[in-house]
Amino acid sequence: MAINQCELRPMGKSIHRKEDPRFIRGQGRYVDDIVLPDMLYMSIVRSPYAHAKITGINTDAAYQVPGVKLIITGEDLEKMKLAWIPTMAGDVQMVLATNKVLYQYQEVAAVVAETRAAAVDAAQLVEVEYEALPVVVDPFRALQPDAPVLRDDREKKSNHIWHWEAGDREKTEEIFQNAPVVVSQDVRFQRVHPSPLEPCGCIADYNKGTGRLTWYVTSQAPHAHRTVLAMVTGLPEHKIHVISPDVGGGFGNKVPVYPGYVCAIVASLKLGQPVKWIETRTENIASTGFARDYHMKAEIAADENGKVLGLRVKTIADHGAFDAAADPTKFPAGLFSIVTGSYDFQQAFVEVDGVYTNKAPGGVAYRCSFRVTEAAYLIERTMDVLARRLNMDPAELRLRNFIKKEQFPYQSPTGWTYDSGDYEQTFKLALEKIGYHELRKEQAEKRARGELMGIGISTFTEVVGAGPSHSFDIMGIKMFDSAEIRVHPTGKVIARLGVRHQGQGHETTFAQIIGEELGLSADDVLVEEGDTDTAPYGLGTYASRSTPTAGGAAALCARRIREKAKKIAAHLLEVGEEDVSWNGEAFEVKGLPSRKVTMGEVALAAYTNLPEGMEPGLEATYYYDPPNLTFPHGAYIAVVDIDTGTGAVKVRRFLAVDDCGNVINPMIVEGQVHGGLTEGFAIAFMQDIPFDEDGNCLAPNWMDYLVPTSLDSPHWETDRTVTPSPHHPIGAKGVGESPNVGSPAAFVNAVVDALSPFGVEHIDMPIFPWKVWEILRKNGVTE
Amino acid sequence: MKTYSGDFTIPVSRDMVWNFLMDPHKVGPCLPDLLSMDVSDNHHFRAKVRVGVGPIRGAFDLANSITVEEEGKSASMSVKGGGMGSGVDMNANMLLEDLEEEQGTLLKWTCDVVVSGPIATIGGRLIDGQARKITEQVFENIRNALVSLKSEVAVTNEEAE
Repeated sequence: MAINQCELRPMGKSIHRKEDPRFIRGQGRYVDDIVLPDMLYMSIVRSPYAHAKITGINTDAAYQVPGVKLIITGEDLEKMKLAWIPTMAGDVQMVLATNKVLYQYQEVAAVVAETRAAAVDAAQLVEVEYEALPVVVDPFRALQPDAPVLRDDREKKSNHIWHWEAGDREKTEEIFQNAPVVVSQDVRFQRVHPSPLEPCGCIADYNKGTGRLTWYVTSQAPHAHRTVLAMVTGLPEHKIHVISPDVGGGFGNKVPVYPGYVCAIVASLKLGQPVKWIETRTENIASTGFARDYHMKAEIAADENGKVLGLRVKTIADHGAFDAAADPTKFPAGLFSIVTGSYDFQQAFVEVDGVYTNKAPGGVAYRCSFRVTEAAYLIERTMDVLARRLNMDPAELRLRNFIKKEQFPYQSPTGWTYDSGDYEQTFKLALEKIGYHELRKEQAEKRARGELMGIGISTFTEVVGAGPSHSFDIMGIKMFDSAEIRVHPTGKVIARLGVRHQGQGHETTFAQIIGEELGLSADDVLVEEGDTDTAPYGLGTYASRSTPTAGGAAALCARRIREKAKKIAAHLLEVGEEDVSWNGEAFEVKGLPSRKVTMGEVALAAYTNLPEGMEPGLEATYYYDPPNLTFPHGAYIAVVDIDTGTGAVKVRRFLAVDDCGNVINPMIVEGQVHGGLTEGFAIAFMQDIPFDEDGNCLAPNWMDYLVPTSLDSPHWETDRTVTPSPHHPIGAKGVGESPNVGSPAAFVNAVVDALSPFGVEHIDMPIFPWKVWEILRKNGVTE
Repeated sequence: MKTYSGDFTIPVSRDMVWNFLMDPHKVGPCLPDLLSMDVSDNHHFRAKVRVGVGPIRGAFDLANSITVEEEGKSASMSVKGGGMGSGVDMNANMLLEDLEEEQGTLLKWTCDVVVSGPIATIGGRLIDGQARKITEQVFENIRNALVSLKSEVAVTNEEAE
């Protein structure tokens, strides 16, 4: 049961979410809810072709539509040097196509009109002449020497973007040469999309009088967006005011700067009126940042007893037409080298090659710390392949190979320093809670009767919280985060942070951290995020980084306030500062606990009754640069039953035991886990964005790209263990992405386990019923 | 790209089929769901046709051109255009052969079709069947027109007699 927000010592308690009443009652305020005087609307003309030369654009008919104010083409942007913009991955991308288009639904022109309807109507009348060019949709085909070179703007005349590797190639090779057992598995993580309920959109409002641009945008990283805009457009940064109002889901989709944003800003600069652009569902799925699309091959070297020795991974990363992945600068394949997971490999070697194809650009971190989901899926899937080869229970194989509790801090062969963990404890709790051995017995009985039941395990390790600024930056900006706390005379607090929540519950959890540190209730603390004029600079919310970074900043900022408060308390208690101690709710005189003052009393004194010479006020700012990332982990177990007639998979049970360190609000953690598991379920069973050979996107809407409802979703069981992060100010690790990262392998392992009597070793996601049905039919189970 | 092909016999002479195919005023109306057409010369015409695949409904504006490959025997027709942000690109090849004993003409056709844009994506899995149906319909219409032309000719001949 959730408890009241007024309670003191709020840390670790399931306090009601402060933001829920407004969201549940439809009182959230999203970008599209904002209506400004004289506001215009923008619609984008997009390419029907995946690869074509543009031989002409005629806007005459479109300009005839009543209410049309402006039509922008690539040529117009070229004159302003805005036809191309940098991507976060160090590539460049077209804002509006100039000479050619490189993917279907690419932006070709932008139409601005007095009404949304007029803009959409006029966009249909923009005549674009195309000359079709050969299309490359398969990244392996793109790498062949005779493949057409898609990016003729680059110096390198090849579709190969970059090569990246981690670990020791030679030493890993040696292990493989001498290993008694080697398994190899090709694993594809299909192209999926974060597909937030609220698509991308913005209002650009350039005020000619003040020379200031106010930009309302549904953004996960408003400060970073402002800096990027300043760099790209040349507008001075202090003359750009970014406001990210309530965000209706992000999941990584709202980290990049999209062409539509630039067009809306250009239109407002030209017209001096506010310009609103809101995507359609199809535009969101077909043109904004997709996720995954990794073609991976893993090989594990092991001994006969199942002790893993070495891991070798080779991956082709399909980035589409531009490398618009949202990765830290030095990590083109994100944190993919966490692929050794929870297991103690002696050596590992991982290589990834990025490739261009005629598909929408991206590679964003969909509820994921930059390619961690791909890595976790690959290792957890391949461990099961090894177990099958050794004829060993996959649970036993994992128990033999976990990094042991006493090995932390653990140096991984690909260069990570794992902060803390107790994998065995977490896994054993999961096995016991789900009744693993009874389930195996039940499975054996069912198999004898010809029924298909499977049990799938995933014991993943995550890496989150980018990051220490020595390693992590985005476009040069170091990945720290920040908090600013102001305690007002009556003891009420406004706290502002550099991150931006999208439903994660920051308004509650950060109030709990600050309330705990200052002896106040969560109700006394108002958390504000998303306004670059008021909030301190930060890199935003994604990659489960808010609690590891801004959460740390909030705690340390509050402690900074407490230091000053202690001096004021000593003054009020008329004792020396060394005689004052903090009891969690008030300052008291050491040895005389009845003599105390609360933070409320101190706050009033900070403005009314200060010790002589002290600066008035009670405020602080803290920029927190974490010393390391955090490494949450979990043990997930799925139990599935397969309909032998139709191939439909029913997830009968799913247990998620997470260890995300110290927990701020258990109810919110549970909610995050439920949401992430539902997304993982959708990826495993429902979602894929395929393309035909002409580059037509075959799932650009919710008829073909399926989003699960509560009717589709299994019942989730959750539990947790607690291994605090030793370096985080409150021992927290972050949890938002764990369920999305950890669950796909559990689902797929369960289905493969059910079908293993037929010799099935792997099925690529999404596991549609027809894929299972074909296996059943081939084996004579069904007709 | 999808390729469709077929053949059929028409109980009229090869000359008559050839003349029909070379006349935009006759071939144009064989496009299914034709709304309007505008002939620019003997080998070129524009046509507006109604299109509907799945939830997408609207009109396509198509530029058609006929090319003679071998006089009286083989020709190609390209249909290019689109609408509603979608595009279609068709290239058809037609080959005429005399049937034995002046039984009429054999028309063999192959057609490459590339469909792009929302009509291909939102139409999704419907598009293949739809493109095949439309292509086959074009040739079915050509055949029917020629057959009815033959009976018209027959009637006229009868009247003349």
